[in-house]
Amino acid sequence: MKFTLSWLQDYVDISLSATELAAGLTMAGLEVDSVDETGADLDQLVIARVAAVEGHPDADRLHVCEVDDGEDRRQIVCGAANVHAGMITVLARPGAVLPGGLKIKSSKLRGVKSDGMLCSAAELGLEDGSDGILDLDRDLSVGTPAASALGLVDTLIEVDLTPNRADCASVIGIAREAAALTNTSLRSPAVSDLSFSGQAPFTVKIADYDLCRRYCACIIRGVKVGPSPWWLKKRLLSVGLRPINNVVDITNFVMLECGQPMHAFDFNRLSGTEIEVRSAREGEKIKTLDGREHDLTPETLVVADAGGAVAVAGVMGGEATQVDAATGDILLESACFSAVSVRRTARRLNLGTDSSYRFERGVDPGATAHALARAAELVVKMGAGEIEGAVDVQGKAAKPLKLLFRPHRCNKLLGTSLSGEEIMAMLSAIELGCRLIDTETLEVTVPTFRVDIEREIDLVEEVARLVGYDHLPESLPRVTLAPAIESPDRVFRLKAAAAMVEIGLSEVINYSFVSSSHRRLLGYGESPDEFVRLKNPLAEEQSVMRTTILPGLIENLNHNLNRQAPGLMIFEVGKVFHPRGGRDRQPRENTRISAIIAGRRNSGAPVIHFGREKVDLYDVTGVVSAFISRMGYRIDAFTVAEDLPFASGTVAVSVNGVRIGACGELSPGVTREFGVKQAAWFIDLDLDMLMGIKREDKIFFPLPKFPAVYRDIAIVLSEAVPVAELMASLEKGGGNLLESAELFDVYKGDKVEAGTKSVAVRLVFRSAGSTLKDKQINKAMNKILAEIARDLGGKLRES
Amino acid sequence: MDEAITTLRDEALVALDACGDIDGLEAFRIKYLGRNGAVSGLMRSLPGLAPEARPAFGRDANKLKQEIEAAFTARRENLAVNAAADRGGVDITIPGRCLPGGHSHPVSQVSLEICDTFAAMGFDIAEGPDVETDFYNFEALNIPSHHPARDMHDTFYVSDSTLLRTHTSPMQIRAMEARRPPLRMIAPGKVYRCDSDVTHTPMFHQVEGFLVDEDVSFADLKGVLSLFIARVFSVDTAIRFRPSYFPFTEPSAEVDIACVICGGKGCRVCKHTGWIEILGAGMIDPEVFRSVGYDPEEVSGFAFGIGAERIAMLKYGIDDIRLFYENDHRFLSQF
Repeated sequence: MKFTLSWLQDYVDISLSATELAAGLTMAGLEVDSVDETGADLDQLVIARVAAVEGHPDADRLHVCEVDDGEDRRQIVCGAANVHAGMITVLARPGAVLPGGLKIKSSKLRGVKSDGMLCSAAELGLEDGSDGILDLDRDLSVGTPAASALGLVDTLIEVDLTPNRADCASVIGIAREAAALTNTSLRSPAVSDLSFSGQAPFTVKIADYDLCRRYCACIIRGVKVGPSPWWLKKRLLSVGLRPINNVVDITNFVMLECGQPMHAFDFNRLSGTEIEVRSAREGEKIKTLDGREHDLTPETLVVADAGGAVAVAGVMGGEATQVDAATGDILLESACFSAVSVRRTARRLNLGTDSSYRFERGVDPGATAHALARAAELVVKMGAGEIEGAVDVQGKAAKPLKLLFRPHRCNKLLGTSLSGEEIMAMLSAIELGCRLIDTETLEVTVPTFRVDIEREIDLVEEVARLVGYDHLPESLPRVTLAPAIESPDRVFRLKAAAAMVEIGLSEVINYSFVSSSHRRLLGYGESPDEFVRLKNPLAEEQSVMRTTILPGLIENLNHNLNRQAPGLMIFEVGKVFHPRGGRDRQPRENTRISAIIAGRRNSGAPVIHFGREKVDLYDVTGVVSAFISRMGYRIDAFTVAEDLPFASGTVAVSVNGVRIGACGELSPGVTREFGVKQAAWFIDLDLDMLMGIKREDKIFFPLPKFPAVYRDIAIVLSEAVPVAELMASLEKGGGNLLESAELFDVYKGDKVEAGTKSVAVRLVFRSAGSTLKDKQINKAMNKILAEIARDLGGKLRES
Repeated sequence: MDEAITTLRDEALVALDACGDIDGLEAFRIKYLGRNGAVSGLMRSLPGLAPEARPAFGRDANKLKQEIEAAFTARRENLAVNAAADRGGVDITIPGRCLPGGHSHPVSQVSLEICDTFAAMGFDIAEGPDVETDFYNFEALNIPSHHPARDMHDTFYVSDSTLLRTHTSPMQIRAMEARRPPLRMIAPGKVYRCDSDVTHTPMFHQVEGFLVDEDVSFADLKGVLSLFIARVFSVDTAIRFRPSYFPFTEPSAEVDIACVICGGKGCRVCKHTGWIEILGAGMIDPEVFRSVGYDPEEVSGFAFGIGAERIAMLKYGIDDIRLFYENDHRFLSQF
């Protein structure tokens, strides 16, 4: 909602500076978005009179004008079609700078000298586009500075209106708040009531009072449609509205002044003499003022004549019945349409207007006739026509609501100790009538313009607002002590993220919605039902809810590699979404933790110590093992799994025999699809599943009292036997005495038989009860070697 | 002790400290400890003293000689170690051997900080689904369809009745349906709105909080939020509460803090008002209580919603919200 300080001052005397007023309004709940001084940059422009106009010898569209600027007569070439002799307009003399930064110079246009420029409203920064130059009132004195002569030196204030304050979508509404703020009174313009009793040359029928509470209209005959006087144009221009003609401008002015949207029909273009407010008929069409054609449905409320819809009620009038230069008689409409109906229609037709904005929020049902009278009076005052008959049709007349209000309850909710009298005084300042019913209760009469106040609690907010939130007391709640309950899922997830950070990965967060192509890029087949799909995505890249976190991470990898990152270890913990059948059902939300590792190992660590080696599979399995261990589980031995569609080498990750995910290398085909030109490894684990696995309780093992004995052995066995099997065999053979076995080398090559490898292990023997003797260890070693020979066909390597 | 001795002692120790290398040290040795040095000079002055003063003077001069010699030796060893380092033995200026740790995302960090602040005040922490129903996201929160307040939420729809939650407020309803008062809870999570520019991303993080009990007042809301701001920003951060509108709270408030960029003097970030909006709050609307079967005459409560990105941007001076979701390691590793 925009207004200017000078307009506001028509209704209230403001003693505050613009900044103080803005601060006051903001603290009263009318958040001021901007305060702009206007007109200061128009200083160098003057009011001038076009004395004579001739055609340009070399250009059909240009005019050569003689212009009187109060000091000189200047020759000015002008391209505007509306320039004519005797016209009062605005002249920019050479040297002047227009608001857009254009500096005016003397120049030649097609060979004819032009000593300045005649300006349009757009060139003065008053509107976005203009047809022709300004055509001003004849009584403006030539030679005076344009900004002050036109009243353009002003302060424009824009309020970011919350949807509840429909009453403040008008300058008078804002003035009422400003008056309460400064302890002065509001000056409403005096309007003589219209007479609705006489005969009117038309009738009005409302089909459903739920959709249209009230419809007032009057006929004005002998209308002289033409440009509005400057004061009116200025008011509209000052808030960014484009003047059209006097009739339309008046309807807009009254809407801005008192918040009542209005419409003017060309009465002679209406067919029949009955105006009907009804639902549109199936198949009915209308072409609105903006030139757009709409197919209407019965959900749309229309204003219709005998020939069909002539306006989309509360949204926009029809083109066929619009007021233009040929109009002689008008029908002026002021109505109260249903907020829900207007909103639904405006959304469906994608047609938001100043009118629908106000109806959606709620228009004062008590002021319909008043606004009509105001507009009609302005038309008559302008000498633009005579009123002939008015009609006011409504269901139940709007009456001010009476609410019971308990100051005690208000104090309890706000933490205040206000007296009934104090509250009465405050509420009265914004025209809420108060009457003491008993010592505990007030009766508050809510004027019809406050459509937002319907309950006692709404009045409590008014009191809080009027006291000023900053003046309300501050305290801490008194509560019953109770242990705080924290979502176990969250605790587990935070622990997982912390574990990854400790291991050395950085956390990323990607959008939950992704491109529907992601699954295909990962090598999965097309299957549209796989996704939870958005109906109104911002872009295709954000059109479906992700079913895997990995593509986002690969995109992050690509982003960082493109910015010369030598290596990357990133993870994300978050939800993926799987439809449960039927769009109306909430999907299954599964929390996963996924990671991508690529490029230089330990990138970020000093190269002098760690080198520039690239990561390989063991970096990935190492992260997985460390992660599972930090989460308090013991990981099962990795096993080779059937390749996932996007992997070239997939390792199954299991805990307690439950497969919770996988890790491995991304296939080069997939990384290439994402623009990544180097090897990358992935981890993808189901965190919900891991959480479902019972964690082993931590049990203390007493520290050993006796020393350990170490034996290093090398076993030669078939290349095909995984190390994990050898270790299992060692443990089996070693029995109680073998405390641990540490792998320290795997050798393949010339020094062993082809198809075999040598695995070197340090065995640690220890007894809980005594220092071990050679004999005991040798016995254990023999058992181990026998076990290996039998199970795996392995034997001690001959050196 | 003779003044000549103390003067020489002070002078020598200062000179020793000033020796930066082996050459300087040698010059020192010659000057003070050499055969013709200052300490020997003291001894040589002995015969000129009164006979009764000689024994004490001689003892003190000897003590001084030992002290300076000890200091000289220590200094030489110290310099030798440093010299070795300089000559490539061990260069302690080479970076140490240490693996870089990972970094938690700044939004995670801030979100955690917000949650911890309220958890420390005894608030429960709960989470809900990202894909919500229209009922929990709007209807039960007193935002019927065709309410203009829906314009404040640019909603992503999955179907007519399911959507991506536009705020974490649905958790108010889910929690109140499941439990009876007293309740105090915060609900962090991702929220979604179809909006994208320098200050908006289509997904962001919010922390909802609410407290319901008998006799909870607006004053309590002010108290709790002031504590929160003091903890997350600083105790001397100026704050103000001003009226606003949310369909699920009445009275409703927006909370501003003094602009962290200009300190309240007015700048581009605060649109020259000196204030920056950081959260929305209010007393829970009686309609919301009715929708979960609570009696608004019996209980009252407050609720608030905090944007994690907004807090992070203000705390760290980040000027483009989209940086949070580019996941550039040069950005992430700053936190």
